[in-house]
Amino acid sequence: MGMPMTDRRAFLRSACRHCVGLGALGGLSAFAADLSGVKVPQRFGRPAIDTDEGGLWGLMDREEQRLRRSPLTIHDKAFRQYLQDIVCKLAGDFCPDIRVYPVRVPHFNAMMAPNGMMVVWSGLMLRAQNEAQLAAVLGHELGHYMERHTVEQLRAQKEHAVLSTLVGLVGGVGTFLGQISLSASLFAFSREHEGRADRIGVRLMKHGGYDAREAANVWDNLLQEMKVTGGKEAGKSGDMFDTHPTSAGRRDELLALAGGDAGDKGEARYRQAIAPMRLGWLQDEVKRGQYEESLVLFDRMLARDAKDAEVLYARGEVYRLREDGGDVERALADLDRASRLPRPPAETFRSLGLIHKERNDRVAAAQAFQSYLAQAPQAADAAMVRSYLTEFQP
Amino acid sequence: MKRLLLLLAAVLLAACTSMGKVEGEQVINERLVVHVPGGWNRVVDRAEKAPYESWTQEGIPLDHLRLWGAVRPGQPLLTKWATFSRAEDAKERRVPTFRTGLTPEKLVRLFEEVYATAGTVTITRVEPTLFAGHKGVRFEFTLARRSDDLDLRGVAWVAVRPDPYWGEELYAASFVAPKLSFYERLLPMAEEVVKSARVRNTAI
Repeated sequence: MGMPMTDRRAFLRSACRHCVGLGALGGLSAFAADLSGVKVPQRFGRPAIDTDEGGLWGLMDREEQRLRRSPLTIHDKAFRQYLQDIVCKLAGDFCPDIRVYPVRVPHFNAMMAPNGMMVVWSGLMLRAQNEAQLAAVLGHELGHYMERHTVEQLRAQKEHAVLSTLVGLVGGVGTFLGQISLSASLFAFSREHEGRADRIGVRLMKHGGYDAREAANVWDNLLQEMKVTGGKEAGKSGDMFDTHPTSAGRRDELLALAGGDAGDKGEARYRQAIAPMRLGWLQDEVKRGQYEESLVLFDRMLARDAKDAEVLYARGEVYRLREDGGDVERALADLDRASRLPRPPAETFRSLGLIHKERNDRVAAAQAFQSYLAQAPQAADAAMVRSYLTEFQP
Repeated sequence: MKRLLLLLAAVLLAACTSMGKVEGEQVINERLVVHVPGGWNRVVDRAEKAPYESWTQEGIPLDHLRLWGAVRPGQPLLTKWATFSRAEDAKERRVPTFRTGLTPEKLVRLFEEVYATAGTVTITRVEPTLFAGHKGVRFEFTLARRSDDLDLRGVAWVAVRPDPYWGEELYAASFVAPKLSFYERLLPMAEEVVKSARVRNTAI
């Protein structure tokens, strides 16, 4: 690690001109807080190959090939279809032109390429509380696509486009400067584009029957999570906010656009759709090792559903690993609670066993380890756990 | 212009790595001694002071053997993060850091976090081992790396040794290479180095 690597994904990011919340928020207020002037453009075809737009599409096609083969792309067929269905519900006529790729990266981001390739990271999908929130992000991305913002940016910033090629060639630049921040500062959508994408997004949500007020909650939740890192600039730059600067202002604008009508939130449907992948995403979040940020997320998820065994396990893990004052007791409480709920992750019992073992409570440890092995006899550490059980025998 | 300068700086920094051949007896951080029969390439990145040595057979984008020697409590296992910046005045991010009293499982977790900064890590096997003459843990993992969409396999050996002055010291080695062909071909060479590891006692 740390060595320069050919990072073509950095190029993809830059050429994709991301996205979700790029551009400062001041620009939003320039628009009237209603949707009367928002028109969804007509569907367009593939541009001629000898145009700048055609060239950009060609480049993105190549990246899309790469993405299809990437081990990080989530291939679960049912889930891919679920995402595609949401896009079609939002995009109407544009439906056949958009391809969504869920990718396993534990951060909050989504990108829209001009050729119709849309990328959504698992960190974003873990954080979305319902289908309407995910639809808010997808709708915003579709807004960029429908109005062909990338091409407009390309034409407006020839100089930057040259730089984007450089970034692609050099690769590894991100290893030093943070790929995201570099490309974000070079390739941010304009404030106007961001505002327009927000407005189209809300329009598409309402058209699709979603509760458009959820768009505001996406930013609200993200801001709460980032506040924990402190600093006056929290929520403006750093981590995901290099690409998603947000503020209370944006939330209010989105709420005003959404109006008062309630719509479909689709929470149960969403939980069911992500269920097969969710434990892995939670584990990815814990493995980031940014315990305080993860705790804000897990607290929020548990406030919504206190009997969520997977999240109780994940929060217990964070406490168990952090080991600050009182953390072991907190870990025990969460893990014990999870273990008594229907279908807790098998790892709940391993973590319980490890805590009891450290506290020299052999009986409780043995009981937990046996439950773990019964649920996951093929686990990577099964042999290790069996050796503990042997040790415990008098 | 400022952006161009930043880019230029990054390019220059990227050029600051150098390679040199390693053979025979090698000492990492004055304490971890290994014998290198075959010959490896040591990669030095002048832009950072890594707490480990990086060696490679085919080049760092493909395979690496990392060696940590005498890491003391409070010392991080990693100094440079691959992606994502932070607000300038934000709190420092947490970095996988060695501390005393870690169980084998927590040691594995520490290294899992090291590699999770590069992609999706899955532990596939955990077992007790001896490393550098001390009881420790050996574990295998897979890594789906973000920077190049490569499927990699890895193995690591970690041991903690009591130390009269620091309480404990950590010694470790990890080897990572593409799942396809490279891992199996190069692993025996990495294992040879790992098997030869011992701790050099310092007279204080």
